[in-house]
Amino acid sequence: MIQITSVSKSYDGVSYAVRDLSLEVTEDETLVLLGSSGCGKTTTLKMINRLIEPTSGTILVDGEDIRAQDPVALRRRIGYVFQGIGLFPHMTVESNVSIVPRLLGWPAARRGERAHELLELVGLEPGEYAERYPRELSGGEQQRVGVARSLATDPEYLLMDEPFGALDALTRDQLQQELLALKARLKKTIVFVTHDIFEALTLADRIAVLHEGHLEQVGTPDEMVNRPATDFVREFFGKPAQQLAAFKEML
Amino acid sequence: MLAAVTWGEFLANRMHELWLRLGEHIVLVSISVFAAICIGVPLAMLAFRRRWTQTPVLGVVGAFQTIPSIAMLTILLVLTGKTKDIPALIALTLYALLPIVRNALAGLQGVRPDVIEAARGVGMTPRQTLWMVRVPLAMPVIVAGIKTAAVIAVGIATLSAFIGAGGLGKFINAGLSMKNTKLMVLGAVPSVILAFVVSGAISASEWALAPGVRRRKRGVAGKAARHLAISLPLLVVAFGVLASVWNPFPKRRRAVEITHRIGMPGTVRIATKNFTEQFVVGEMMAQLLEARTRLTVKRDFNLAGTMICHEALVHGEADLYPEYTGTGLTAILKAEVIADPQKAYDKVSEAYREKYGLVWLEPFGFNNTYAITVRAADADEHGWTTISDLKDDAEELRAGFTAEFSERPDGYPGLRAVYDIDFGSVDDFDPQLMYDAIAHNEVDVICAFATDGRIAAYELKPLKDDYGFFPPYYAAPVVRAEFLEEHPEVRHVLAALAGRLDDATMQRLNYEVDENKRDPADVAYEYLVEQGLLKGD
Repeated sequence: MIQITSVSKSYDGVSYAVRDLSLEVTEDETLVLLGSSGCGKTTTLKMINRLIEPTSGTILVDGEDIRAQDPVALRRRIGYVFQGIGLFPHMTVESNVSIVPRLLGWPAARRGERAHELLELVGLEPGEYAERYPRELSGGEQQRVGVARSLATDPEYLLMDEPFGALDALTRDQLQQELLALKARLKKTIVFVTHDIFEALTLADRIAVLHEGHLEQVGTPDEMVNRPATDFVREFFGKPAQQLAAFKEML
Repeated sequence: MLAAVTWGEFLANRMHELWLRLGEHIVLVSISVFAAICIGVPLAMLAFRRRWTQTPVLGVVGAFQTIPSIAMLTILLVLTGKTKDIPALIALTLYALLPIVRNALAGLQGVRPDVIEAARGVGMTPRQTLWMVRVPLAMPVIVAGIKTAAVIAVGIATLSAFIGAGGLGKFINAGLSMKNTKLMVLGAVPSVILAFVVSGAISASEWALAPGVRRRKRGVAGKAARHLAISLPLLVVAFGVLASVWNPFPKRRRAVEITHRIGMPGTVRIATKNFTEQFVVGEMMAQLLEARTRLTVKRDFNLAGTMICHEALVHGEADLYPEYTGTGLTAILKAEVIADPQKAYDKVSEAYREKYGLVWLEPFGFNNTYAITVRAADADEHGWTTISDLKDDAEELRAGFTAEFSERPDGYPGLRAVYDIDFGSVDDFDPQLMYDAIAHNEVDVICAFATDGRIAAYELKPLKDDYGFFPPYYAAPVVRAEFLEEHPEVRHVLAALAGRLDDATMQRLNYEVDENKRDPADVAYEYLVEQGLLKGD
């Protein structure tokens, strides 16, 4: 469980990227942080594994304050899938996937075995992909590798920062479905950042809508669509619904 | 007089030395570039991690680059008190630093920030981020810097011969000193080729190490090609080391019948200054000592001038070199000119022994002073034999002097005062062009060096210095007293040359080298055999 309590982040002491945010991510749930760019969703995500330190407030992971933990050790036990690609361009797919096991000092044989398992899990044939370099892969393949890397040590928590943002619609849809399937098999607690409402509705157990650094509403997809708590949320979900209706009419 | 040598003979004669100099060159460059990597990469990391050090680090390293090479070498020569390889290596290392530091820093800073965040995000420590991500990703830029540094070093290493270090610059330097184009080409062309080879070898290695090549080049042939490419720079270094210790080309030996060798075994290091006459006389001494003593001779010829030779002896880095009384008096002792040759010799002998522990042996006989020189035909026509004879015709005469002679108090200004002579016109010439100018009737009077080979060859006549205005420049071997005590046989053997070489002889021998482009060693050898001092076979 991840408990975020009254967390604020300010870079200049005047304006706030995140302001007085409190959230709970319960075990095995997928919480989607949703909002337009600059709303503080990525900042919130990065504070969970201490890539960014909060200005105030506390974050507990499994009931322990993360500030009391070594950030390096913390990051190694939380899977992270990066916005864009975030793969190491000078390492093969196999080396990328097994980087965390390597940092943790697993023996080479076990790392290799694990990498192959993971590649199969994300639908990449190890024989074909293991020795390739990231730039030799398509965007979708790269992001599968990114997901495989985050799962390497079978972490309880996964942080995903707009992982599918740069992909075309078809590939994105495919990966979303695969993520759902994976989640059903692996039982992970996932915090997923996106600005895409449909992605949020597809993946989320609960959605937290952020706007200008504060939390507008948190709830199930159904609650967000049918019982918006603020005007912003109503507007936010209403817009695409109208667009969709217009699109349907055209058809 | 023998004809000039052809390229074929020339190359065949020089292969042994070319191989050796190429090896030395590569070793000089390798050591200095390696040192620059060992210093430069950590410096770049320091500048990267402690941002405030960036400006001073780049500033200092960049400042080295702005020092002209010759100035740098000279400064290091003075600072280290050593000639030859040590200052050369330091200079080359300092020059190699800038491209290495600058590229390494740019490489480290140029890694994409999202990759660095990913490294942190997967739980790398700062140290791991540096070594597992930043450094490997910066590597192509770092290697490009090393390549630039190596190519620059190949070029600058040719200049280190200036202070007596080895390498291909020896040829260029000797070629410049003797106006021998073949020798200059022998140094310049291989260093250009070497620069290409070094750059190509590093590029090949870079290619083979790039991510992806390993997978694309599979199979035995691909693997072999990859490994070969990776190791090319090392092969170049290995070749350099090999070439400087092992030589497949026979050393050219002049046949000498050895009858009786005297003295104790040891090594004698003979230095010379950087002009033809010095090489010829240096070779004569070297060959005589090789034939008649048990000493091994080491030739440190072509040092850049009087001071370097003198310092080399004073610091015990060389044992003897040929010096001129006038030079010893004015340049080293900073004393007044003494017109009387014997008094001048006595004065330098005494002062050198007291001040520097150096001994002047007996002079060779020639006096390489300035000589006011005219065309022999003109001299016959006007009956000129002395400088004073010119006085009446001076206004009609066009003089061509070196710039130095025009300025020195013991040159034209003094001459004018002492002889009360004013030439109609005075033009400054390069020493080489001066002789051509008088031969082609462009000038009528020049300030020749008394032993220059062209005096005879161009049918010129040096006029007698009837007022004894020019200081005597009699040449003699100067030897470390300490060395002479251990090897008194050196005095005995070199005495064979004493008084034997007059101005005319030196003119002839210098001409062989300067105009016929012959090797000073051959010229010296032939003279010694002709004189019966060496027995050829």
